[in-house]
Order: sequence, then C-alpha cells, then structure tokens
Amino acid sequence: MPEPTSELSSREVEHVARLARLGITPDEVLKYRDQLRNILHHIEALNRADTSKVPATAHPLEERNVMREDRREPCLPADAALRNAPSREDSYFKVKAIQE
Amino acid sequence: MKLFHRTIRDLHQMLRDREISSVELTQSVLDQIQAVGDRTKAYLLVTKELALRQAHAADERLRSKRDVRPLTGIPIALKDVLCVKEVASTAGSKILKGFTPPYSATVVERLEAEGAVFLGKTNCDEFAMGSSNENSGYWPVHNPWGLDRVPGGSSGGSAAAVASGEAIAALGSDTGGSIRQPAALTGIVGLKPTYGRVSRYGLIAFASSLDQIGPMTRDVVDSALLLQAIAGHDPRDSTSSPKPVPDYLATLGDGVKGMRLGVPKEYFVAGMEPAVEQSIRDAIRLLEQQGASIEEVSLPHSDVALPAYYIIAPAEASSNLARYDGVRYGYQAEGARNLIEEYMLTRQQGFGAEVKRRIMLGTYALSSGYYDAYYLQAQKVRTLIIDDFKRAFTKVDALLGATSPTVAFPLGAKTQDPVAMYLNDIITIPANLGNVCAISVPCGLADGLPVGLQVIAPGFREDLALRIAFAFEAATEFHKAQSPLMGAAA
Amino acid sequence: MSAIATKYEVVVGLEVHAQVLTQSKMFCGCSTDYLTAPPNANTCPVCLGLPGSLPVINRRAVEATIRTALALNCEIPEFSKFDRKNYFYPDLPKGYQISQYDLPFSRRGHLDFDVRGAPCRCGITRVHLEEDTGKLLHEGAIHEAQSSLVNFNRSGVPLMEIVSEPDLRSADEAREYVMRLRAILQYIGVNNGDMESGQLRCDANVSLRPAGSSELGTKVEVKNMNSFRAIHRAIEYEVVRQTEVLDSGGRLTQETRGWNDARGLTVSQRTKEFAEDYRYFPEPDLPPLDVSRHWVEEIRAGLPELPAARRERFVAAYGLTPYDASLLTSTRPMAEFFEETVRLGGPAKASANWILGDFSRLLNADHKEIQESSIKPTHLQQLLHLVETGGLSGKMAKQTFDAMYHAPDPAPALAEAKGSSQISGDAELAGLVDQVIAENAKSVADFKAGKEQALKFLIGQAMKLSRGRANPQRLDALLREKIV
Repeated sequence: MPEPTSELSSREVEHVARLARLGITPDEVLKYRDQLRNILHHIEALNRADTSKVPATAHPLEERNVMREDRREPCLPADAALRNAPSREDSYFKVKAIQE
Repeated sequence: MKLFHRTIRDLHQMLRDREISSVELTQSVLDQIQAVGDRTKAYLLVTKELALRQAHAADERLRSKRDVRPLTGIPIALKDVLCVKEVASTAGSKILKGFTPPYSATVVERLEAEGAVFLGKTNCDEFAMGSSNENSGYWPVHNPWGLDRVPGGSSGGSAAAVASGEAIAALGSDTGGSIRQPAALTGIVGLKPTYGRVSRYGLIAFASSLDQIGPMTRDVVDSALLLQAIAGHDPRDSTSSPKPVPDYLATLGDGVKGMRLGVPKEYFVAGMEPAVEQSIRDAIRLLEQQGASIEEVSLPHSDVALPAYYIIAPAEASSNLARYDGVRYGYQAEGARNLIEEYMLTRQQGFGAEVKRRIMLGTYALSSGYYDAYYLQAQKVRTLIIDDFKRAFTKVDALLGATSPTVAFPLGAKTQDPVAMYLNDIITIPANLGNVCAISVPCGLADGLPVGLQVIAPGFREDLALRIAFAFEAATEFHKAQSPLMGAAA
Repeated sequence: MSAIATKYEVVVGLEVHAQVLTQSKMFCGCSTDYLTAPPNANTCPVCLGLPGSLPVINRRAVEATIRTALALNCEIPEFSKFDRKNYFYPDLPKGYQISQYDLPFSRRGHLDFDVRGAPCRCGITRVHLEEDTGKLLHEGAIHEAQSSLVNFNRSGVPLMEIVSEPDLRSADEAREYVMRLRAILQYIGVNNGDMESGQLRCDANVSLRPAGSSELGTKVEVKNMNSFRAIHRAIEYEVVRQTEVLDSGGRLTQETRGWNDARGLTVSQRTKEFAEDYRYFPEPDLPPLDVSRHWVEEIRAGLPELPAARRERFVAAYGLTPYDASLLTSTRPMAEFFEETVRLGGPAKASANWILGDFSRLLNADHKEIQESSIKPTHLQQLLHLVETGGLSGKMAKQTFDAMYHAPDPAPALAEAKGSSQISGDAELAGLVDQVIAENAKSVADFKAGKEQALKFLIGQAMKLSRGRANPQRLDALLREKIV
C-alpha cells in the first residue's frame, strides 16, 4: 500500500463526519482517516489531467429546459405518507427535541 | 432441461403455444430458489405469493390471447434498489429495513404492464456501493460457479440468481460497472444502457448522474427483449431521454461484417489476469473472423477515470443519502436525547462501513475549500473522458475489451483494502462517465470461472452493442455454459 | 433616533421569500394549497423525499421568477441551473434543498420607491427559485420543546428568494421597500402578498458603521417579522440595541436573532458554532436551462403596467398628487378600482379621496381588501354623481356609503339616497315650473301649437335649474297642467 501523502487530519475527519451527521467512535476516526488518506492519495491522480481549457460537464445529457406544466396530480393516500414513519403522532411525523 | 434453464425467448414461445403455463414456470423457478437459495443467498426477499398471483394473471392473459407481450408470464428478479409498491425495498441497507414504498419504479410499472412475474428482491451491495456484494447490509452473495467466490457487485444477487436458475432474467443497476462486472463474473449477459435511456424514477439513488438500470440475462436476445420493455422516455425522470427507442430485435442479426471495432490499448491494464487477457484476445480474433476490422485505439484519459469516479459518485451519494435520517421511514436509533444525536446514531448504526466511507469522502470533496480541487476537477476530467469516446467513435463503430481484469475472486480477498476493491471497476467506469452504453457477454472460462467481453458503443446505440454481442454469441457456445449450481439440479 | 443616525450609519439588506402562485408544487404535482389541507395530505414520494423519487421543474414557477426579475429590472442570464444546498433539518425531507447557487435566473436589478416623497433606489442582488420546506409544530419555543411535529404539506412549494443589496439606510426605507416589492409581486400575479400566513416572508441583515465609513459592520440577521410594522419595529429595535452595544465599547457578534412581536424585541437564536457549509453542487437530477431571449421577451410582453409607471400616469392623466397616486397604486385591485370609477364618469380627485379615505378606513377596520367589498366602481361613481349634482350633502353621502359598505348589496342604500334627494313635492316644484314658463316663452308657444318636443326641452330646463334633483314625472304633469 502506498504511503499516505494527503494531510487529512483527525480533526477534519471529525468535522466531515459531523457535517454528514455520522456518529463515529474515536477508533473509527483513525481508521477512516487512514483509509481516506489512502483513497485521496490515489485520487490525486486527477491532477495529472490538464483541464485548464476544459469546461466541467454541466450535465450528462444534452437535453435542456425539461419542464412540466403546472398541473395538479393526485397526492398519496392519507396513510401511505406516514405508514413508514418510525414515530408519529396523529397525522404528523414526530421528531425529538431540536435543541443542539 | 428444466424450465428454469431456458431463456425468455424460448419460454415465451412455449407460453404462447400453451405448452406450459406461467404458474408452472414460476413454480419451477421458485423450486430452484428453494433448492439453491441458501447457497447463493441471491435474494433478500422472495415474493412467492405475488409471483404466483402475477403468474395466474399472466396465464389468463395468455389464455385469452389478449395483449400477450414478450415478457408476459416470465419470472424476473429485481435488484433491491428498485422500489416496488408495498414490497420491502431496502437497497441492501439496514437503514431501510422494513421500508415498503407507497409507489413503484417506472421500470417496475413497465414490466407489470408487460405481464411479467416478480420473484423478489435480489441482494446487492448496500446502496449499490461495491464490486463484490460483500457490502450488503444483510449477507454476502455466493457465486454459483464457486460458492467460495464473490459474484461481483453491486448487482451480485441479480447475477447469481440468473446464473443459478433462480430467475430467468433480472434487472440490475450500473453506476460504475455494477451490472457488467457481476454479469462477467457469473457468466451471463449484462447491459448498461446509456444514461437517459431507462428511467431512474423509483431507483434508489447512489450517484444520480451515473446510475442506469439495465437487463441481466442468459443471452443477448433476452437482453434486447428486456431492454425493449424498460427503455424510453419517462416524464417523471427529467434526465430520461426523449429519443425514440429503436426495435432492438430488428437489427440484432445483422452481423459485424464491415464493421470497424476498436481495441483501447489502455484497457489491458496492469494486473489483468493472463487467462482473462487470453480470452479477450481470442474473442477479438473471433469477431475479426466474422468480418469486422480490428484496430487499436487510444482513450488517453482512462487512467483518470477511476479517480474522477471516486469523487463524483461519492459526492452525489453523500447528498442522496442525507435523507436517511430516521424521521420519515427506515431505521431510527434508540436512546438519543435529542434530534441531532438521533441523526448521528441512526446513521452510524444504519449504514455499513463502505457507505460511511463514501459519504465521508463525498462530503469532504464538496466541502468548503475543496470543491474546486476535487468535484470541479473531476467534472472537467469527465468532459475529457466524454471527448475521448467521441474521438474514438469517429474512427471506429464500437470498442472491445475485458469487463473485469480478473475472474471472480474469493470472498474476503479484498475487503480489507478499499483501493484494491475500487480497482475492479477500472475498465467499466469510463462507460458510465462517458455517457456511452456497454454490454458484457460471456467469452469463455479461465480456471473454470467465467470471463466477460465488454462491447462499448456510442450513446444511445444499444442496438449496435447488442448486435455485436449477438454476432459473438451466435458464433460461440460460451453463453450455454451453466454454473454447477444450475446444472446440479438439472 | 436622530442623534443615533448622525453617529452611525444604518445598513440594511433584505431577503424576501415569496411563495409563487402556482397550482402544483415546484417539483411535483401536489397541490400548493397547504394552509387548509389536513396534515401531510398534500404529499407524494417527491415532496416527502422518498428513496428513488425525482424532481421535475414546474414551468410556471420558472416563468414567474423571470417575470419578477424583469419587473425588478434584473439581468436574465442565458444559462441557468439548479443546485443542491445540503443541510440537515427535520423539515427538509431530502437532506438538501433544491435551490440556485452560482447561476440563478437573474441578477443585478433595482427597485425604486419613495419615503415620504423622497425617491429611493435599492439594488437587487438576485432573484432565484427554490423549494419551500415543511413546517414544524411545537409547544413553546423550538429549542425548549421536548418534541416537534412535522407537516410536509408546504414542502416543495415554489419559493422565490429576492435578495437586496445592503442599500437601505433606515427602518423607514426597509418598510417602504418591502411595501413596494409586495405591490409589484401582487401586480404581476406571482404572489398573494400574505405576510401573516408566511406566504411572503422577510429577513433583514442589519448592521451599523461609523458615519462616513464604507466598510460594512458586523451584520445581524433578523428573522420572524410577519408584517410591515414588525419589519419597521424590529429594525428600529436592532439599531438601538446595536448602538448601545457599540457605544458601551462592546463588540457585536454575527448571529441570527428572532423578532418577538409581543415583547417588542429581538432574541438571539443561538450563534452558530461553525460556519454553515452547504456543500452546494449542481443538481444532477435536473438538466440545466437555456433561457432564450425569445422566451424572456415573451414573458416580458405578458407583464402588466407596473406600479411606478401607473403612478406616474395617474399624476399626469388625473392630476393626482404623487402621494395619492402612490397610495392608489400600492395594490393592483385598488388602482383598477380607481380607474374603473373614473372611466364610468366619476371625478378623479373625488374618486381618489373616497377610495383612500372612507373606503380604506372601513376596509382596514375589517382587514379586507378592496376587491372583497360588495361596493364596486359603479356604486361609487353613482354616489359621487349624487354628491356632484348637489342632491346629497357630504354628511348624507358618508352615511350612505357606510350603509352601502355594510349591506351585502349596495344598490338599495344607493337607491334610497337617490330617492331622498329628489324634489317631488308639487309645492316645491311649482316655483320651478313657473320660472321655466316665464323664461322660455317660445317653447311654451311651440308646445301649445302641438310640438311635443318642446315639453321635453322645458323639463330639461327645469331639471337643470334643480341640478338634477327634480322628479321628471311630476315636472311633466305640472307643466302640462300650467301651460294648457
């Protein structure tokens, strides 16, 4: 396995995990840091390509202006929207306290 | 020969002639699932009742001779990333355990309209992220050609089902090779259509700008039949193309005589197994004998396709998978004191290691300060790869190469090394980034394990890819080779 | 205030969110009528963010955004796209909001308005289109509640964000800006202007800087202002609060504060521990948009006369004061009511006075809009005619209008006023008839000679003398009686 060269730090791993709302144990921080460093090391190869005069692909398809007319369509039946909810109250989804 | 050994086309004839019923056929496949299912572990859910109900309905249709379609009464397996109304659809993830969507994917509705029979949901790498099926949130799938081997991924369950007689055909999804690579590793035909050819509505998203649904079948004719049924514009998917769908069967037998076929020199990568390379070289020679002219071409940016893919796909995935927060559906962790803690725990416990790795990688690549260096650069590289293909297709009609640099590897061989695992996709990824279509067709065995020939055709030229693959198949017997599991019960 | 104003300069920029009036949501066919529907009834796989669902752009919402941008004098770039704004919140079902980041539908516009007659111009940074979130319900304050309930009926309703430059220099200017903006949105039919129910929402970035400085001070984002009055009060409050902090040698923190209308103050809503990182990237599920010049011109051609142009026309054509013209054009229905009244023959000045005076007073008391009243332009015009011809005193007219306003049908009250103003008594009419006979000897002779036409002329003369109040049937009878 090649030496990791990227400077990804444990702190950054924690920051990214929090941005992504992924709980992560201290052991995992180290494990992910090393794995991501290794992956990023391979990804550095991206910079081998000269893209100075290349536009980014805006979208894989050539189609543009794909739109629908402003028409109402049937919604889900009353219970279907809530059927899969782990917590609900009456016809609402219920979530825990939002305080952080 | 049992019914489950046959192809769609054969069975369609027999059903239409009332030689067999769909219920008999479905039962035959269900019996095979019963017989070998615990060895392949191909299915996450077998929808026996639904299948038999649909088979009865199909028989009614066949009896009355009303609206009999090529897939009427044919038992088909669906990769678990496809939503089926009222049927558990989990994308192979524990975070979606028990989720029953209130709607069906467009491809599922199209197959229903054809009168197809749904056998169940096939196992796959969690959210289609993987090349060996070992990332399933439930259990790994075993290759019917060697139970200690992986079936490839991420559509490993669909591939194993078709290769073991547990389905006549299946749908898979391909983001970086997830149809073609398992097709190659299990000796079946797998087609990745051009992005936009098949509606993604109802396909649980991995990477939105790369995902495509496609057929996994016993032979090329079946591939054409299944693609015919699912291709075409869908107003619910803004990225589905309005281009008309040609009649794929009409040109299937037109042969390769006079065709110019290119062999990208970059596709014979370091680490390719010699036996695999030999099979591919033989296959190319065979197509030459069929009247095609072969020339070497170059796709100079092939070496940066893999890194570009491992930015674009995880970036999109990190966003697509943000919705799994335990509020509206799926798994919800217990014991959290507040909402943010619940989010963190739910996602920590609900996602597997590879999914988390990619979410982190994608989040990092999109985060403030890194966007230009990673995501934007990757999208520029994508332009280079698209241009590589465009340039190549001014010289040749289609491209040939291996699907996978190796045959099926042993379970556990690469699980500790993510990068080694990622390298499996090195020759399938460019077709996803390049907006072209590609098919993998069996081209022999190496050490008793299947090898797949990849045919890459320009965007929306599935007709051409199928035609070349069919010419190869018609001249060989490779597709008739049966996995030991399929043969065992025969 | 004045002392403060000389020491620090107030810098305000506004972000206005306006729900676009469409039948269906931004990316799916669900109804946008979320206020009356039962909880979570107006939802589907798309606006619930179910796995596998995909968005499809509502053309009308795009056109409404471009329409708005044109009305705000914006540039419309030829290429635009949607982006994902990634963040976690329970009212955001996909974990990202489809919005517009670096290539919005429009940029660089301006809005002209005036504050007590003085003209002002505020730059418009951009107008972009996004989807609204669901709605959270909780007991008490959000950060104290033990749990919240989520309703996704509002999720995916098309929402325009209109971002101003930090060009506003006072609470007065901010209020006038929003009033004028609201009028425009209503004029062009893209938003209903309802701030109370949140269909038009306003956030303010407020900062102070030493007078004469050109650098921007630490800005505070103020949210939760549900009326013009709230916008004005909240900004005034912030200016005083920030001044006090600065004057006491303190430092302001960049934060979000919520306006508490009942207590009349802003409350800090938790300073962010680290800057939000929304990880914007192009929405792969939606191909970009080419906004052709032809399409833009088509949309422009469909724009109605805007308030500013109409106001100028009202001043020029009807001789109204700029102030009255400005008030009359503040809503499209009011401006149209005025013009229709004048078209039917109502005097311009009097029509304006009635609409802005008694009529507005009654409407305001009832929290009603002019178009909801049973009084239509024809009724006002008829009333004005009675006043003009002298049949109705000012006091009587006010009483009549009041009666007309409160009746489901204004006609009877109007008819009664007409009746009471008519002179029908033979004793009163006798003098009139005598005078006409005396002054029109030739016509009297003609009538005696059998010319029926002549009598009509005499009745007309009597009507003129009575300023229209005489009862013509009685005049006819009395004239015949006296002449024969």
